[in-house]
Amino acid sequence: MSWRVGTTHRSHYRYGTRALSSYNELRMTPKASERQRVLESELLLEPAAAVFTYRDYWGTVVQSFDVQVPHEALEVVARSVVETSAPAPLPEDGPDWSALRDEDVADRFAELLVPTAYAPFNPNLAGLARGAAEGATPAEAVRRIGELVRSHLRYEAGTTAVTTSALQAWAQGSGVCQDFAHLTVALLRQVGIPARYTSGYLHPKKAAVVGERVSAASHAWVEAWLGRWWPLDPTNGDPVGERHVTVAHGRDYSDVAPFIGIYQGGALLELEVEVVLERLA
Amino acid sequence: MEPVTDLFARYEVGPVWDEMFLESGAARQVASDLHATLRSLSSQDLEDRCAERDRSFRDRGVTFSLAGEERPFPLDPVPRLVSAQEWSVIERGVAQRVRALEAFLADIYGRGQVFADRVVPRRVVATARHFHRAAAGIAPANGVRIHVAGIDLVRDEKGEFRVLEDNVRIPSGVSYVMENRRTMGRIFPELFASHRVRPVADYPAQLLSALEAASPRGRSGAPRVVVLTPGVHNSAYFEHTFLARQMGVELVEGRDLVCRDNVLFMLTTAGEERVDVVYRRVDDDFLDPVQFRSNSILGCAGLVNAARAGNVTIANAVGNGVADDKLVYTYVPALIEYYLGEQPVLPNVATYRLEEPDTLAEVLERIDQLVLKPVDGSGGYGLVIGPHATDEELVTLAAAVKASPRSWIAQEVVGLSTVPTKVGGNLEPRHVDLRPFAVNDGRTVWVVPGGLTRVALPKGSLVVNSSQGGGSKDTWVLADPQSEAPEPATSAPEPILSHSSHPFDAGPQVGPGASNGQEQQQQQARTC
Repeated sequence: MSWRVGTTHRSHYRYGTRALSSYNELRMTPKASERQRVLESELLLEPAAAVFTYRDYWGTVVQSFDVQVPHEALEVVARSVVETSAPAPLPEDGPDWSALRDEDVADRFAELLVPTAYAPFNPNLAGLARGAAEGATPAEAVRRIGELVRSHLRYEAGTTAVTTSALQAWAQGSGVCQDFAHLTVALLRQVGIPARYTSGYLHPKKAAVVGERVSAASHAWVEAWLGRWWPLDPTNGDPVGERHVTVAHGRDYSDVAPFIGIYQGGALLELEVEVVLERLA
Repeated sequence: MEPVTDLFARYEVGPVWDEMFLESGAARQVASDLHATLRSLSSQDLEDRCAERDRSFRDRGVTFSLAGEERPFPLDPVPRLVSAQEWSVIERGVAQRVRALEAFLADIYGRGQVFADRVVPRRVVATARHFHRAAAGIAPANGVRIHVAGIDLVRDEKGEFRVLEDNVRIPSGVSYVMENRRTMGRIFPELFASHRVRPVADYPAQLLSALEAASPRGRSGAPRVVVLTPGVHNSAYFEHTFLARQMGVELVEGRDLVCRDNVLFMLTTAGEERVDVVYRRVDDDFLDPVQFRSNSILGCAGLVNAARAGNVTIANAVGNGVADDKLVYTYVPALIEYYLGEQPVLPNVATYRLEEPDTLAEVLERIDQLVLKPVDGSGGYGLVIGPHATDEELVTLAAAVKASPRSWIAQEVVGLSTVPTKVGGNLEPRHVDLRPFAVNDGRTVWVVPGGLTRVALPKGSLVVNSSQGGGSKDTWVLADPQSEAPEPATSAPEPILSHSSHPFDAGPQVGPGASNGQEQQQQQARTC
């Protein structure tokens, strides 16, 4: 069974004094994969600007543009329509630890097995991760580590910022999905499971009514390598499926940031972000 | 007739290769004329020539910044000689190295065939600090990423030249090669009469030609090249102004440039002018605040994507630093065979990779006999020479290496060759290395016949980096005695003085209270 989902990601930046120019990169176009087909995607900009599109190192579609007219506000609306489905279930006999420790696997995913600024390694975390993985198959360890993260972090918006690391979130015991995802990749990597940070959107309603527009937010979850990429959503523990629209993968948030921008001018006064999802079929 | 004072009275040849003397004490053939001339000089003669040298440098403002202080560039008055035969090996070896590294960079920022073929582990590249994923997919106009290379060589105990490290990011020092030559022409005119020294003054013309060849609009489109400098506070600012002047192109700072719709423009009093090639002397991290450090004002926002769009060429390319990584260095001989199907002309120095536990253990065992280097350093920073380190330094070093083996390599100590060097009123042997400079225009890798010879001035020291207080020598590559047609006159030609290098006012300033902002969105969805 699959869903057809419409996504609208609207960002509105308002500046204190006029911005003279700005340079921006968007990573908002959903990614084609086995469980996801991209039917439509479009971008609306105000002020208007020519968009340059390329694929980055991670295969993510990047839309880049610069605005050279003085502007008090910048509005970016990224829309897409995708068809999503749940991933095929993992085979019962998933890879064992020796398969993951294989030199070829370790080399192929080298950059997804090492710490990053957002997902640092730490002896305490390593101990916890090893404890969770003990006696488990890698697939079971992935599930347990997701639970571990969920049991230690309380979801609370406003307690962390875009720059918060997994360690900081861990120390304070709360965060948002970005922090849940960073902590999960850090733990997985510390037991030798390649893990990547995944950015996208999540439809909040399991029983979504076709045609209803629902307010949501940009979401983050994780994929772990178990012979193939296996997604898990540590923030809520739900299986990743039709409700998840995948946009990008990377080592951490910095590889997939939906919007990066540099501007010259006054201070940023206000940032309004609105994500609306609609199940279309 | 013997001179009253012999400059070589205190010259003792050590256990290493001395470039002037044989073990017997007789002068090597390549240096026999130089030796004879020096023997005819008194200490006072040499002092007089050094005074002339200092005047020459001071007049022209040739300085080097050491620990924040501008000093005259330290040039030893005795040139270093390289025979035509020796040079042909260096020339072939350096060009070969550059060709292999070009292929390597194109590969790792493209398909990554070298990983699939298991020549270099992906891990080595993916964990290199200067592997910039933002460079993936950028195809330079004429395929060149290494427009300029400085390949550091040392000469071992047997007289064989070996590669110590590759510098294909922003190698500096070539201005001193030319300035040293100019000064030597003033202080030792008679030596230029007795030696056929190959000229180095072609370098700016060769560089400009290579940069023009890299223009996305082709060489015929009257490409505009600029030199991008971080500014007067950079230790190599002298070189930036020198090269811009010699090439007759503009010297710009980040604030003089603007990207619009992925096209780069230079702001001038006469309006905006499109730029095709940026010979940048600004590090990757500071080059484009959109891609790298968002607070950098030394570069130009949008520059990397302008290059990606094929509208401008960045020289050297973004991300070249991965080829300078000293762990990657250990694979370069294999890369030469893999990409070129050739045997390396110049061998590496014996080097150990520390990620293998057995090797690490062996290295730690005799850390006091080895040289340890951070893999991502340059200019000699962080390097520890075991035999010269204190016990305390070695303990600290061992801990650092154990904590992060990927961050270090170990090398056998090479007894660098020695060259007569003025120490007080005498000539004494001092250790040297050599940085030849290569320019790649996409068809030919041209190696300037000469290069920067760096001298470790303290007795017995092996640290030659000018950033570490080393001196320099003019490197004389002698013309092949068999060749009939000598190259143009060698007595240090005057540089072509071009129009002012910075004719326009500063670009638009950011007004008071204005700031460069960064915009990001936290991912904070939750679930219901």
